[in-house]
Amino acid sequence: MRDPARVLGPLGARPWVQGSRSATHRCDTRADVSTLARQAWLLAKNDLRQELRDLELVLTAAFFTLVVLVMFALAFAALPAADQTLAVPGMLWLAVAFVGALTLTRIFDREREADTLRALLTWPVERTAIYFGKLIVSLAVVFGCTALLLPALALLFPGASAFLERPGESFLLLALGCIAYCSVGTLFAAGLATASGKNVLLSVILYPLTSPALIFALVATRALLEGHPSFTTYLGQLAALDVVVVVLAAWLFEPVLVGPVTRRRGPAPARSRSRGATP
Amino acid sequence: MIRHLPTALFAFAALVIPYSVDRIFLHTGIEKKMGTVQKIFYFHVPLAWIMMALGVTCGVAAAIQLRNRSRRAEAVSIAAAELVLLTGLGVLITGPIWGHATWGRAWTWDARQVSTGLLWLVFAAYVLVRRYGAAGSDRLAAALAIFGAVDVPVIYYAVKIWKTTHPTTDVVGSLPPQMWNALWPALAALCAVSIGLLLVRVRQELTAIALDEAWIAFDERAPKGASTKGGAA
Repeated sequence: MRDPARVLGPLGARPWVQGSRSATHRCDTRADVSTLARQAWLLAKNDLRQELRDLELVLTAAFFTLVVLVMFALAFAALPAADQTLAVPGMLWLAVAFVGALTLTRIFDREREADTLRALLTWPVERTAIYFGKLIVSLAVVFGCTALLLPALALLFPGASAFLERPGESFLLLALGCIAYCSVGTLFAAGLATASGKNVLLSVILYPLTSPALIFALVATRALLEGHPSFTTYLGQLAALDVVVVVLAAWLFEPVLVGPVTRRRGPAPARSRSRGATP
Repeated sequence: MIRHLPTALFAFAALVIPYSVDRIFLHTGIEKKMGTVQKIFYFHVPLAWIMMALGVTCGVAAAIQLRNRSRRAEAVSIAAAELVLLTGLGVLITGPIWGHATWGRAWTWDARQVSTGLLWLVFAAYVLVRRYGAAGSDRLAAALAIFGAVDVPVIYYAVKIWKTTHPTTDVVGSLPPQMWNALWPALAALCAVSIGLLLVRVRQELTAIALDEAWIAFDERAPKGASTKGGAA
């Protein structure tokens, strides 16, 4: 099989982007939302189809969720109901953080193993669409697996019965928390996929960066379980944080992956001669 | 001129620090509620301000680095991140000392304490990625710094967003003039030291980057087979 990198040139180089832009890539600067959404959905659908063929990511993430749930149940089953309202939010969002990290380390693996990320970047699609495509996939896996936690935690811990009593608000909260987590995670997982794949650094980056969102989600979950009236305020703040994080991550996706591509100078070269890394 | 700026800043700080200490401990009244321990405020607050300013500097420099591929901005970003770690350590040490005397507990999981700790962790992650990341991780670290800079206003408004035991931001605004007069010299001295250290680290990083590029250029020009060994020699 021919090396796509050799066929398609250096990372980030798209000849049709240089100079006058062709119709093929006219969406590069003036992409309307529908084009972006269609491209993102096509890419996500492709990844989801591949995932449905072997279920590797879904099954490992679901199994890991189950293991985490069993560990929490063993450790905290004897807690009094009053304390459970304090402990269950921690269990839920720790599980999201763990399952999310597991999923995000694998989300770009197919591209890295086949070196197709390079090919993907040279396609005439909006690069933001690549980000949103991957975000949809990671969100589907993380939300799909951790959604099982809500009824399970409610059944195991009487203090978390609000998850079953107010399912709409519970799932909305979980979705908003997952969006914040996965939007940051997808950006940095993509960056690490191109940077010779030091996946160990993903956890180093991900946990401090997503902590503000996880704290908001924790506070909101506790308010939900206690039936506190400020729950909707916390939910609104979490949604606002989601918007900020998604926009920032989408904006940073192209510069992080390929560097600024200018007409005169081309893509940014990697500089790593004396810092213990391989060029 | 700029070459001698760090030396001038350090000399200025060496003169102002003794004056500031004298002013704080001998010529400023003792706060009624908190007592003598309130004196730590004159170091804690300037350090926190400097840490936030450096965090924003790091984020802005990282954004310029990503946009313009500027080596100078990259060097500023690295230097500012390292100084965030240093000043953040000062904040995280002086804060609990003050908290222990005022609230009875060094660490109360107050929103601003947690946010400051998280900001420190974000910049620690930045330094780790810069140090151990593979080729191309400079851009990744820049994105991390931008996210860290976005975290700075979250810290500032954390007191208002969450109900908390930390003194509100209005405390500084309502200081009597005598205490303001004692705060300015401490702030000026700590700013001078921080800017001096920043300039020194920026110069070191620029030299390191220039050496990196020279080394790569040498490797590329050297004949095959002799590149690595020859380059090292």
